[in-house]
Amino acid sequence: MHIDWFVFLAQIFNFLLLMYLLKRFLYGRILKAMDDREAKIAARFSEARQLKEKATEEADLYEKRNRELAEQKENMLNEATLAADARRRELMEKVRVEVEQVKARWQEMIAREQDAFLYDLRQRAAQQLYATARKALADLADAGLEERIIDEFIRRIKELDEEKALQMRQAIRDSGNRVTVQSAFGIPESRQSQIEEILKSRITNGFTIRYLREPDIVSGIEVRVNGHKIAWSLNEYLETLVESLTETLQREAHAA
Amino acid sequence: MEIVPLSQISPDQVIIWSWGFITINATILYTWLVMAILVVGSWFVTRNLSSEINVSRWQHFLEVIVSIIRGEINEMTKKGADAFIPLVGTLFLFICLSNILVIVPGFVAPTSSMTTTAALATCVFIAVPFYGITRTGVFHYIKEYFQPNFIFFPFHVMGELSRTLALTVRLFGNIMSHEKVVGILLAVTPFLFPVVMQVLGLLIGIIQAYIFAILSMVYIASALSTEDETHLEVKKESAGT
Repeated sequence: MHIDWFVFLAQIFNFLLLMYLLKRFLYGRILKAMDDREAKIAARFSEARQLKEKATEEADLYEKRNRELAEQKENMLNEATLAADARRRELMEKVRVEVEQVKARWQEMIAREQDAFLYDLRQRAAQQLYATARKALADLADAGLEERIIDEFIRRIKELDEEKALQMRQAIRDSGNRVTVQSAFGIPESRQSQIEEILKSRITNGFTIRYLREPDIVSGIEVRVNGHKIAWSLNEYLETLVESLTETLQREAHAA
Repeated sequence: MEIVPLSQISPDQVIIWSWGFITINATILYTWLVMAILVVGSWFVTRNLSSEINVSRWQHFLEVIVSIIRGEINEMTKKGADAFIPLVGTLFLFICLSNILVIVPGFVAPTSSMTTTAALATCVFIAVPFYGITRTGVFHYIKEYFQPNFIFFPFHVMGELSRTLALTVRLFGNIMSHEKVVGILLAVTPFLFPVVMQVLGLLIGIIQAYIFAILSMVYIASALSTEDETHLEVKKESAGT
């Protein structure tokens, strides 16, 4: 085949020119763009990896904080529960004490009312008994009840044992030789002299005597000297009655 | 009756303008056309390149082509592929486009001219020692011609020349013969058969472009591999001492 040397050289030149132009307009630019993109993608991947690591760290931190908060919350709840329990117990104790106090006051009040009632009942019963006994004695005999009481009183002085007589004598001396006879009723003068005589004969004769009316001594008479006394009254019977009545009332209260 | 016109034997024979030694024929004209398409197309696409994720279709197209060329070269050289892309890529693109444009009526591939293929093969013939000497140095490169001993020097030289000739004739023969075959078939059996041959011709044209470029790269790589081996030997010696 024929080869045209000018064309041959021209084609070499053309090829070199094309090579230069393509390098300038194609390969250089395209390769640069590809490399740039690759670098950008690599950078993005790197950034994404870093962000992921950071996110993982943040997530771990968040989880840790959550756990701590939960623990803290639980502790606070436990503390609050304990405090509330303590407070409840304290309040319950306070209420219990108050209730005890109120109950004690109430019982005290009840006891007072009971005492007042029993006192009143005793008074009324004694008076009633006195009236009934007096009427019965009056109906049964000519002598008045007072007379029988005085007689019983005189009998008791007479039957006084020596030891008691000695104590009374000592007591009269200690009280400045003053003797007080108290009675719920008036004592006739004849009976006063009888009493004085029997006292002088049985105990001592160096004293002055005075008579007092004391309604509290229920249907009775008594000699009281410096803490010692000789007495007869319906009181002792009444006290028996009152005791049995008190027992009955308490049983009823308990049953209620 | 003239079955094949003279202009179809070789585009070199179609003189367009001549003034003394200077001759502008169809080969040069069509070469300029192919060059213009490649350069203008490249400039048009790459004037607004983007390095972002979203790029235009044409940029994608060019990136695919360039990355394929780069990948092929990488497989052979293992490193520094970008230095060979202008030569090998331009060979492939120029030959490929020339062969594809054959389907355009009236276009005659410049590669069907032995002047063109000889010029391209000469470029490769020059490029092999150029890259070899650039990478390994004159002494090492010339020394290879005397391996295993000086008797082999003529054979090495003959080998260089013959493979250049082979490059020239292979491309020229394939493209020219195909055109001639299609021309003859067109005269003998018109209608469908020549169309099939044209399709086959496109395939052959692309394959030939690929072969030319790959062979060029193989020749260059063989010159570079001596460099690698030499360097390896030097490293081994220094490690041994």
